[in-house]
Amino acid sequence: MSGAGTTPDVATGEEAEADGESFVGTGMERVEDHRILTGEAEFVHDLGPADAVHMALVRSVHPHARIVDVDVSRAEDHPECELVLTGEDVQADYQPMPCGLPGFEEWSLAVDKVRYAGEPVVAVFATDRYVAEDLVDRVHVEYEQLDPVVDALEAREDETIVHEDVGTNVPDEETLEFGAVDDAFADADNVIEREYSWGRISGVPLETAGVLARYDTDTDAFDIDCNIQLHTLVDDTVYETLGYPPEKVNLEVPADVGGSFGTKIAIHRYCALASMASQQLDGTPVKFVEDRVENLQGGDMHSSDREYRVRLAYDDDGTIRGLDTWFVDDFGAFPRYPVNQALKPLSVVTNAYDIEAVRYDYELVMTNKTSQTAYRGFGVPAHIHAVEMVVDEAAADLGLDREDVRRVNLIQPDQMPYRLPTHNIYDSGDYPAALDRIEEIVDERERREGGLLDPAVVEKRREAGKYRGVSHTVHIEPGVSGSDWTDRQRTDDETLAARTREDVAELPEHFRIALADDGTVEASIATDTSGQGHQTLVSQLLADGLEVLPSDVEVGYLDSVEAPTEYGTAASRMAVMLSGATAGAAETLRENCRRLAAEAAFDCDAGAVTYRDGGVEHAETGDRLELAELAALDADRTDSLTRVSYDYDHPATQVPDFDEALTSKYPVYPTAAFAANAPIVEVDTRTGEVEILKFYTLRDCGTMLNPTIVEGQAHGGLAQGIGAALMEEFQYDEEGQPQAITMFDYLLPSTKNVPEIEMEHTETPSPFTETGAKGTGEGGMIDGPAAIASSINAALEEFDVVADQIPMTPHRVRSRLRDAERERED
Amino acid sequence: MSSESDSQSPARPTEAVSLSVNGEERSATVEPRLKLSDFLREECGQRGVRVGCEHGVCGACTVLVDGEAVKSCLRYAVQVDGCDVTTVEGLTEEGDLHPIQEAFHQEHALQCGFCTSGFVLATKELLDREPDPDRETIEKGLADNICRCTGYQNIYDAVDRAAADLADAPNEDRPGGATDPGAGGGGDN
Repeated sequence: MSGAGTTPDVATGEEAEADGESFVGTGMERVEDHRILTGEAEFVHDLGPADAVHMALVRSVHPHARIVDVDVSRAEDHPECELVLTGEDVQADYQPMPCGLPGFEEWSLAVDKVRYAGEPVVAVFATDRYVAEDLVDRVHVEYEQLDPVVDALEAREDETIVHEDVGTNVPDEETLEFGAVDDAFADADNVIEREYSWGRISGVPLETAGVLARYDTDTDAFDIDCNIQLHTLVDDTVYETLGYPPEKVNLEVPADVGGSFGTKIAIHRYCALASMASQQLDGTPVKFVEDRVENLQGGDMHSSDREYRVRLAYDDDGTIRGLDTWFVDDFGAFPRYPVNQALKPLSVVTNAYDIEAVRYDYELVMTNKTSQTAYRGFGVPAHIHAVEMVVDEAAADLGLDREDVRRVNLIQPDQMPYRLPTHNIYDSGDYPAALDRIEEIVDERERREGGLLDPAVVEKRREAGKYRGVSHTVHIEPGVSGSDWTDRQRTDDETLAARTREDVAELPEHFRIALADDGTVEASIATDTSGQGHQTLVSQLLADGLEVLPSDVEVGYLDSVEAPTEYGTAASRMAVMLSGATAGAAETLRENCRRLAAEAAFDCDAGAVTYRDGGVEHAETGDRLELAELAALDADRTDSLTRVSYDYDHPATQVPDFDEALTSKYPVYPTAAFAANAPIVEVDTRTGEVEILKFYTLRDCGTMLNPTIVEGQAHGGLAQGIGAALMEEFQYDEEGQPQAITMFDYLLPSTKNVPEIEMEHTETPSPFTETGAKGTGEGGMIDGPAAIASSINAALEEFDVVADQIPMTPHRVRSRLRDAERERED
Repeated sequence: MSSESDSQSPARPTEAVSLSVNGEERSATVEPRLKLSDFLREECGQRGVRVGCEHGVCGACTVLVDGEAVKSCLRYAVQVDGCDVTTVEGLTEEGDLHPIQEAFHQEHALQCGFCTSGFVLATKELLDREPDPDRETIEKGLADNICRCTGYQNIYDAVDRAAADLADAPNEDRPGGATDPGAGGGGDN
């Protein structure tokens, strides 16, 4: 267990009202902050014994080429070179890295062929990082260039195949139909078909990947400190690559990870290579810290990159009858774990609308680009953008207000829990009320004299070529993914058809607490963290559950060998899963304390003992034992009662209505947080620049366990949503060379781009979870881009310009305006 | 490209550097190519200097050099010979948070915390220069630092709070405390 202490200096409840008051629901200050603010926090970059050897990677300069020859002699001749590994070396002693689809073989270092610019080819090792980078320059790789496969749509027909032995650039495709789709499109008054595009966008956490690996020659086992995400779920990507069983490969993630947003689930290549080197060097620790150019160019961390074709069937009054989406997702060189990203949108397939007939059709395409990883929203943001755009276009087609069309189609509160045609269920929420409220807020505050949307101001700005607009939209954030779905997706249709409810094996949330000698509470989380404040959250939850102060709770983390396989921090799971797990564990410990006192001290029936205020009391005599005394009583027992482990079942497994989805291929996300957004934008029609003047948002993630953290998640998610909507993108040129390999090119939102955000909350508890929480980690990134795009549509309504491509960069806005002007002239 | 010289130990040039880091005098012999960020982290143990991009965009490695906010990945250690360097470790006094650090804590202006050292020091320089900044000044003053988690609003609030707290308790004698205008750097511009 990594030491991840809470720090006494930071207020964690000593001055908070203790007795009877609840800590959950308050904006309790974070226990993580002190060590971070003082610089004491240990990120993985900070680890490193003096004798550590440093790794640097020789990466392919070509997007697609055959490796003719690798000459490492000059590197090996360098007196400070400790080791060189090539693809052939790796192939001789180790295994390929697991892929997301069968039939692919990806080695930690390229063998025979490179498939993207930035793909690691050779690893070099030296006692100093600077020298290791010198060694990179001494490796000579001779290539024979091949035609690159760059455009995802063309790749489907391309003669050049990225993986010849797979035989196709489209290794996965499927069409799923729900309801009478053809009838809906035949019967509806209107049908439109439109195309939308979502750029290659990803998380880009400020901390890059890092690893410190040690091989133990005595035990023939590996200890790996790293900042991987989902360390107990994706540890297979490391131990399978090393060719060892899971108990021999221990992944430990520090208490502080500098952001991940999903991306760091895919850093196993680095973990594996550093481990191999440590083994080759008889146990010398090996360190690697990815540099930023590596991270952006070939760090296995790009995400969804889609071309959509969307059809919508609707009647003249705006009622939507059918939705038909098809998309191609450019997965890059290897299909990794995010294969699931293609299917997650099924969990929110109609967003907040009641639509009975849906067709969902996708193709995953291999190209010569960096592979995809997970990113906040996990494939959903692009789908939500496409749906909201086509609804805007239907409204324009009918000459109706976009809000009116939305209102006609929103799921009504009396339909809750609402079952989507794709079998997922929205738990609770009043979407029409949310839409009404966000409109009301904007009307009251901005459509008045002096407001941003004061008609006089809007008109005056237009004279200067600056067009203001706002759209009001409602969005769903599907929460609390399950691991069983991952298995279901990779099961063949025949096996799936025979599947019953008993076959569903969903991973619970594992959690432990133990009383320390001094009566404080030691809690252990089985999932890793990357800035979400889980230590604070668990302190709050256990303080309530055990009637102690949050400062009496210390929260640490289990490593991958200690912990059972868990899902981890995915799809806003932790608020729900940790609150369920802490509640169960606290209840068990309270029961155990009563029994312990009854047996070992009071000599009475456990029924005569009550648990109160962090101790137990004899109901009749009033005798009391504090937690420290209980720990002492328990010290010599063989069957410890003050060490508790608890597994909280995934909530969907407790709701029979999910059984249909759980026994088929469809995703189950049992919570539906939601938001109503109204970003006010101003588009400079001369430069194409979009400025968000203010972002109004009404958010509901069920019960808020810590409102401060909830707001923080929303702010951060929206900032990423703004970046995606307007500026972030990994572009490639026609030759397959990545164009955004520095932060000068991959533009992250700064103080100059993120507007004032006006946020309001409602709390509609989830009926499916322990505390009513729904989770809220992904929201702003899911709903921000579509909301901004819709407001751009509103601003540019008279030009018939649609924000059909994300990000809407100034260049793209201008080119659409130019096209519109040209069409008008014709 | 002589392969003969390859096998010889390349005599790496070195240079002496002396500077003050958080009030402590340091002397070292380093390679001229050693970045200040690496020097502070590896040689001086100031791990609160975070390295996010190594090309001067993200600002995580921001430190104060003679009171001026500097991206330490863009300087070599030998360039700050004779200078006075403050890292985030230098702001605390006997474990007590500096008002800027305390304000970041109170306003939930950090999540993962990887950018935080840089923001705290950029704020220090800003408030030394502009003790009572308006929102636009704050936005401009922090425009060289990227935060990927918080969305900035809470950071602005933290700067406001720190400005107010520092105004209430001026001229406290802390390490890296209010810059003496005579110490140069970042004072009058």
